[in-house]
Amino acid sequence: MGAEVITVSCDTQFVHLAWQADEKELADVKYQMGADPTGNLARTFGVYDENTGLALRGTFIISPDGTLMNSEVNFYNMGRNIDELMRKFKANLYLSKKADEGCPSKWKDDGDKTLKPSAKMVGKVHEALND
Amino acid sequence: MSDCCQLKLGAPVPDFEMDTFDPTAGDFGKVSLEELKSQGKWTILFFYPADFTFV
Repeated sequence: MGAEVITVSCDTQFVHLAWQADEKELADVKYQMGADPTGNLARTFGVYDENTGLALRGTFIISPDGTLMNSEVNFYNMGRNIDELMRKFKANLYLSKKADEGCPSKWKDDGDKTLKPSAKMVGKVHEALND
Repeated sequence: MSDCCQLKLGAPVPDFEMDTFDPTAGDFGKVSLEELKSQGKWTILFFYPADFTFV
């Protein structure tokens, strides 16, 4: 889909190799596994936990011009929903071509209803979503 | 680092470079934001606490 997914933890690339080779759940992994042993990249994104030396579950979408477009951070004990990540990524792709539109919460894919903010819509979002 | 310096949405992400393990190639490599930008690619960074734990 034109995106490079990179997983990042504060482990080295050597540990990534060992884990990917060892863990059958990761047998089909295609994405690059990034090493951030200093935690500096995690710090840049505000997900480095100084108390534990670990990175929180942060997901960040960066546009091709290097702009941070989306961020989501979950605590250690809550997993992320990949469908929601895909929804956000697809919405970003769509909006990068249709800058005057907005993707409402129920937008899932190309062809779904979008909103084009205008004076006419003020107070009439319900009608705009359901017409 | 305190909250003051965390990247905000809409802000430019500073260039970074990382060592990687690439399971497809079965080899080590490097990835940099500068290179991904030059290829016109979107980048999704997916942080998690540690290898050999639940992701």
